Amino acid sequence: MLGTKIKIVDDDQTANRPVVLSTEKRSDKWSLLLVAVGESKDRKAFAQLFAHFAPLLKSFAHASRHEGWFPGLSEDLVQEVMIKVWNKAAGYKPEKASATTWIYTVARNCRIDMLRRKSNTQHLPLENEDFWHEPDEETPVSLLRQKRSEDKVQASLEKLPKEQDEILRKVYLEGKSHAEASKELGLPLGTVKSRVRLALQKMQILVAPEFREEFL
Amino acid sequence: MKTVNHHPDAAMLVEFSAGTLDTAASICVSAHLHFCNKCRSELLRLDQVGSQLMSETEPYAVGEQLFENVMAKIDAQPEDLERTNRLEDVGSSKSTDEYFPLAVNKLIENTAEEFSWRHMSASVDVARVKTGQKDYEVALHKICAGGKTPRHGHSGKEFTVVLKGSFSDEKAVYSEGDFLLREPGDEHQPMGAQNGECICLSALASPIKLSNPLGFLMKPWLRINPM
Repeated sequence: MLGTKIKIVDDDQTANRPVVLSTEKRSDKWSLLLVAVGESKDRKAFAQLFAHFAPLLKSFAHASRHEGWFPGLSEDLVQEVMIKVWNKAAGYKPEKASATTWIYTVARNCRIDMLRRKSNTQHLPLENEDFWHEPDEETPVSLLRQKRSEDKVQASLEKLPKEQDEILRKVYLEGKSHAEASKELGLPLGTVKSRVRLALQKMQILVAPEFREEFL
Repeated sequence: MKTVNHHPDAAMLVEFSAGTLDTAASICVSAHLHFCNKCRSELLRLDQVGSQLMSETEPYAVGEQLFENVMAKIDAQPEDLERTNRLEDVGSSKSTDEYFPLAVNKLIENTAEEFSWRHMSASVDVARVKTGQKDYEVALHKICAGGKTPRHGHSGKEFTVVLKGSFSDEKAVYSEGDFLLREPGDEHQPMGAQNGECICLSALASPIKLSNPLGFLMKPWLRINPM
């Protein structure tokens, strides 16, 4: 069965078109819905994505502790992200990333671009998504492997000690650089870096320490 | 694709994934990712961490009108905008290169007619690109085949990514995709490979210092000029 392709009919009535995916059905229906938006501008699918992701995006926006960010921007971010999701859905590849990860990267890029647009000093000729190119992959990740990898991230996050979990939240949700986190926590920069790295190695996110030079 | 041997450190990839890396460094990491499969898959896993953390947050109710507002905006936008393929925008200028990373080509295009190669020394040409930030000078450097550059030290950080060809210094040979970080105090003398010119992207934080006492003859090396 592994690696073969079968048709799966999503049980959700709004996505009753058969969608070709690999053997295991994804536990999240969001990726299927996102594919439907990309393929046929399916408004009902988009409405479901909106209902699920808009509150998460708002919460992500609220978590920001970037200089110059304020809560009033949160719904602007939600709007901007969801419009981008609609416009870019055709380029979404479910075998590369889940809908949640894909939408996270859109949100992260939008958050940066909004901050840059707000500050007078940076008129960046690039949008952050321009950093986000996808060259042709020689070794495409299978849907199954991609999904396993996401499940592993979820499971291993739960097992992290509090201080490691805390620092990852600071970095990803609050949007603190390592240097800012170091100031805020009153810890040397090297300690912050190694705490982040330890957490990610434990989660097997950073898998090949031998290929990295140590900078500490 | 050739194997890339020199990579940004873990902290830089994490900051890139979290969106906290500064612009100039992000441009260089992005250029490296274009060439480096390994770092791309590491980045994907890092993004999964961000994604997981986002989806674990307490959902925050949005205004009742928000969905209608979003749909109205979507319906109001021109049709073709939805399908704009950003990759196709690039390639009209003769300075861009199909093998360059997208972000680099975009920077070159954006710099438009101000993009020009200037001699920095007998063997090195430089062309600055506009990036909209002032902390780093971001530029392409072209070292001619076998070209020697003056021995110099760094007083600030410098990121370099090889885009084409290869060069070497006392420590190693660097080829396409390799990412180098020079820290303040580092000193080196890069040399172009014999078999062809080498083009690098670099972001330089502060002026380099020439080790040669006659260094003042090399004034162009001594300041940074972000555009």
